[in-house]
Amino acid sequence: MEFITFKDLNKLRSIINAISTSVEVKGIIDLVGTTLPSLFDFSVFGVLWKEGPMLSLFQEESCPPAFTQEVVKNMLKVFSILGGEPIEVERVNLQVEKGKLRNKQKVMDPQASLKSHLTLPLVIEGEVIGCISINSDQANMYNVPRLQFFSVLGYQMAASLKHIQRFSTVKKEAIYDTLTNLFNRRHFEERLSAESQKAFESESNLSMIMVDIDHFKKVNDTFGHDGGDKVLREIASLLKNSVRQYDTVARYGGEEFVLLLPGAPLDPTSMVAERIRRLVENTPFDMGQTQIRITISLGISNFPIHRMKSKEELVKMADLALYEAKKGGRNRVCIFKG
Amino acid sequence: MKEGREEKFSSDVISDLYANLLKEIWESVSALIGEAILTLLFNLAIRKIGERYSFLNSLRVSEEGLALEEVKKGFRDLPPAEIHRGFQSLINELSHLFSALTEGVITKELLPKVLPKVREAERMVSKK
Repeated sequence: MEFITFKDLNKLRSIINAISTSVEVKGIIDLVGTTLPSLFDFSVFGVLWKEGPMLSLFQEESCPPAFTQEVVKNMLKVFSILGGEPIEVERVNLQVEKGKLRNKQKVMDPQASLKSHLTLPLVIEGEVIGCISINSDQANMYNVPRLQFFSVLGYQMAASLKHIQRFSTVKKEAIYDTLTNLFNRRHFEERLSAESQKAFESESNLSMIMVDIDHFKKVNDTFGHDGGDKVLREIASLLKNSVRQYDTVARYGGEEFVLLLPGAPLDPTSMVAERIRRLVENTPFDMGQTQIRITISLGISNFPIHRMKSKEELVKMADLALYEAKKGGRNRVCIFKG
Repeated sequence: MKEGREEKFSSDVISDLYANLLKEIWESVSALIGEAILTLLFNLAIRKIGERYSFLNSLRVSEEGLALEEVKKGFRDLPPAEIHRGFQSLINELSHLFSALTEGVITKELLPKVLPKVREAERMVSKK
């Protein structure tokens, strides 16, 4: 029976400590992959993360592809035995990192096959979020103390991975509007601060389009809030697909949206706004038994044309232009007139 | 009347024997892989074997351990051989899960403890 030394325990402690302070999934996987050789003799270490699904392997440089495949298949098999939904090999986002785990004299045999492994589920509150596996081409490589070490690592990894997962959900909720999946107003304010500062300092263009759905109350009254929500989601999607990737599209509140177009002069912005107006006007909205037509009103402001001195003025001017569009009969684009 | 009492006695003895055995498995394996993973494995095994031996479905497992009282109530009227087969299948399924995860590491540790008790139960059932 192999005994655990104080040195081993200290190594385990430092790995656990490092895992618990990691803030990224990849960071944890890389960290464990690179530090594990000081505790275990292995050919491939793998982490299967059911989100994705993603399988990260950290393996010996001389590891033959057939051995890697064997490890992948075994991990997926164990994961499905553990009650996870069966995952087909083709669906897995496989990431392989190779490192020198052995000296030159001990390179792996090209015909090497999987002889021993420890594969443990990553369990949090009864849920299997993935599994970790350590694999060798040597028979009887692992014993009770190594299993205990590996399970301790697994528990810490599961806790940290779950923590990261929760953190990323909270982070997402802080940025996005849950109904439309557009940025929320809070995040829009942050983007506006950053982009307006950049534009004011460099005298570069910054345009804003305020959008409001015409007669939205009627939609809600006729089709209920579910119908209203459906319209909001579809218009949000049309807006998002009508601008460049680096433009900001946000839900400003209720049935109001805002678009921030860095570097866009007034004329092209006006063309974009008109294109969006026509797109919405010509899109039939499916409301179960019937289809309806919706229109929107849009107001535009631009720096430097409108000579505003603050980001608040940029918003106010776009809002006044939107008011003009509403007053002028709706379903139109208005540019701020000072 | 006498026969009935003997059968009852035998069922109780077998159930006690397996209750102790499952507790021993719990103690030994939780020290190796921790309670959370072991709870998961027990519940997977119960779900699978419970389809055939429904009395096992009332075996409650949590990270605090095993609660066997409800199971005992459930098999009062079952023949000892049925109880034996249910528990034996459960232990086989657990062994299968342990092997899938760690190949021989857990099984090697458990075999000397488990095997004699399963044989003892087999002897008791076959005597009847």
